[in-house]
Amino acid sequence: MIKFEDVGKRYPNGFEGLKHVNLTIEQGEFVAIIGLSGAGKSTLIRTINRMHDVTSGKLTVDDVDVMSLSGKQLRRFRRKIGMIFQSFNLITRTTVIKNVLTAFVPDMPWFRSTFGIYTKDEKMKALECLDKVGILRKAFVRADQLSGGQQQRVALARTLAQNPQIILADEPVAALDPVTAKQVMDDFKRINEEMKITILINIHHVDLALKYATRVVGIREGEIVYDGPASEVDKDVLASIYNGKVDDEGNVLDANDHNEER
Amino acid sequence: MNKRIIEAYEKRPRTWVYHLAIAVIFVGLMVWSGSAVETAGTTMDGGEIALNVLKGIFQPDLSFLFDFSTKGVPYLMLETICIAFLGTIVGAILSIPLAFISASNLTPKPIAFAGRIIIMAVRTIPAFVYGLMFIRVTGPGAFAGLLTMGVCSVGMISKMYIEAIEDLDTHVVESLDASGCDTWQKIRYGILPQLLPNFASTAIYRFDINLRDATILGMVGAGGFGAPLIFAMNAYRWNEAGAILAGLIILILIIEFISTKIRVKLTRG
Amino acid sequence: MSVYDKIFKPKVYTLPNGKSVEKKASRMPVYFIIVLLMCVLSVKVTGFDMKILSQRIGQFFVILGEMFPPNMDYLEKVWSPLFDTIKMSLLGSVIGALLSVPFAMLASTNVCPNKVIVSIVRVMFSLIRTLPTLVTALVATLVFGLGTLAGTFAIAVFSFAYIGKLTYEEIETVDMGAFEAMEAMGATKTRAFISAIIPQVLPFYLSNCLFNFEGNVRYAAVLGYVGAGGIGLILNEKISWREYSSVGTMLIALFVAVFIIESVSRMLRKKLV
Repeated sequence: MIKFEDVGKRYPNGFEGLKHVNLTIEQGEFVAIIGLSGAGKSTLIRTINRMHDVTSGKLTVDDVDVMSLSGKQLRRFRRKIGMIFQSFNLITRTTVIKNVLTAFVPDMPWFRSTFGIYTKDEKMKALECLDKVGILRKAFVRADQLSGGQQQRVALARTLAQNPQIILADEPVAALDPVTAKQVMDDFKRINEEMKITILINIHHVDLALKYATRVVGIREGEIVYDGPASEVDKDVLASIYNGKVDDEGNVLDANDHNEER
Repeated sequence: MNKRIIEAYEKRPRTWVYHLAIAVIFVGLMVWSGSAVETAGTTMDGGEIALNVLKGIFQPDLSFLFDFSTKGVPYLMLETICIAFLGTIVGAILSIPLAFISASNLTPKPIAFAGRIIIMAVRTIPAFVYGLMFIRVTGPGAFAGLLTMGVCSVGMISKMYIEAIEDLDTHVVESLDASGCDTWQKIRYGILPQLLPNFASTAIYRFDINLRDATILGMVGAGGFGAPLIFAMNAYRWNEAGAILAGLIILILIIEFISTKIRVKLTRG
Repeated sequence: MSVYDKIFKPKVYTLPNGKSVEKKASRMPVYFIIVLLMCVLSVKVTGFDMKILSQRIGQFFVILGEMFPPNMDYLEKVWSPLFDTIKMSLLGSVIGALLSVPFAMLASTNVCPNKVIVSIVRVMFSLIRTLPTLVTALVATLVFGLGTLAGTFAIAVFSFAYIGKLTYEEIETVDMGAFEAMEAMGATKTRAFISAIIPQVLPFYLSNCLFNFEGNVRYAAVLGYVGAGGIGLILNEKISWREYSSVGTMLIALFVAVFIIESVSRMLRKKLV
């Protein structure tokens, strides 16, 4: 269970990324977070595994106060939270399976991690994860020879190998074409349903968000302006999330679609 | 005519002054540098020598070329390869710390600048100066040659290392961070896999160049084919010189072919 | 399937659900053994000895130390050979670069339709590049006599092959669309080349020329060693007389000259490309 209690995030330059966020997410939910570029979607997601610090309020994951963690505890905490990025973030110069195997690295004894020695058991687990996302056949191919959609699936397999309870996905399909994006979203959905992993996803495509997520969180200028089932999102809700930048058919008019804040 | 068009025409960039200035500077530089062309004159007919050289190169001394004892061309080439190989490794290792302190995305600006000045200074000193200095260290022979080669390689290798370091993709590190890796693991799995193929490729490229540049070593007495080549040429034994050059050209073409293949494989997989 | 995969069978992983995947045997061990063998062989042939190195490397720094403080009185005698070095590399670079242009055109498949000529010119370029510049310089001193003319010649030959190769590669990767458009408008091939290809290639060509010149200044210092003029001649002389403080003066002068030339050239190259 992820619980935000009056969480705020102020950047060193004074910009307020998050304001008074209250949010509770139960295990196994599929939550899409939507909003304009710069509204605080990335910040929200990245506070959960403390890639970003919160500056006020309390954020707990399974009753653990995230801000109280540091060093080794924080790294152990991050083991149960997987993260997927817009740019896949793979080591492109090595094979697919080695990318997946890096998920085991933090738990390995130092001599094995230094020399990159993996047990048969770990290799089999990695292959199973690749099979779950349907790219088993590419296991021993170099990652840079894969298409964008395949690379994102490798990233997904890497996250699965970590055996997480929560997956945070920061714009996972923004760099993919519509067809591939759907396939990757299908993977997310399946993982969510079969393995009961909580999924939080930042997404620009409102149609995909509404189609796949069970719950939608709308965020505007660091504040949550909508939180409810996907089925109840209508034109007015979208208009309030996107500052009225919605046309008659409900399409969002967001010019800088791909310049997400970092 | 349309006033706007006339205005646009009036505003056209006047490049002729610029071009004229460049032309004047260029011609001036040429005249200046032409002033230095001087020669002490030859005792023999230059044309005849040139002809002899060509003849020698196309009629190499075959018994020398295929002499497999330690005095023949094959052994000289082997010695040169060995010098270039170890020299490249020495250079590749020396360059690592230099490159890391000079990479502007890792170190503060003043330190990086100082590192670059050092690299440049190392690069400026001509090879034979190093050669003569190292001979004082190890005595004449291939050992001095490989040290010279190592130091001479530092300039280019570290420059290319720096580029590789500055081009690092830090997204990978971000994802390793998110999955709970510590600092050493982030370096081991995020940074090294990116750098190693690059570094290896650079070293192979430099090995190629070192092989070509090995002539100078022999001249100062630091091993390789240089010394016999110079002796042969100074004594006008063109067939012998031709045999060495033929061996060298074959060797360089083979190595270039192989090294290009490996480097393509390293970057494309 | 290559021979290697036939000798070393790929490893098959079978998942619990029955699916299997093949992993080709890694080439890494082979590369590793080759490199290791090369190392052992090289150490043997060259007589590399860590013990000697660690004991005597101090000597290197002793000599380096003797270069400082440099003998500043000697500076006035450095200028003329230093400028000779710069002059011969400048002239050599320009001559070589200019001469290489027509041959580079002949070596580009998109300009020269005759495959035989293309390959002949390319082989010529790569043969000349394999010829060590020092050998060219030495031959040149025999043909033209000692002096800067020999050095200029050697640098011109090297620049010819180096710039030639880079230029034909540049011409080959050029966007032919503009060329076709010119031809479609009724221009002759020559006119189309001048107005469509040259503007695309020129910045890179000039940039390569500058880069080549930078390198040649440094290389020209070596040529003096075989008597091809410039600073290398006196540098060699002073080292053999062990006048290290004068050597220090020359090296610093050379460093400053190279630094200035590289800075100017880098600035120009940034503007070009």
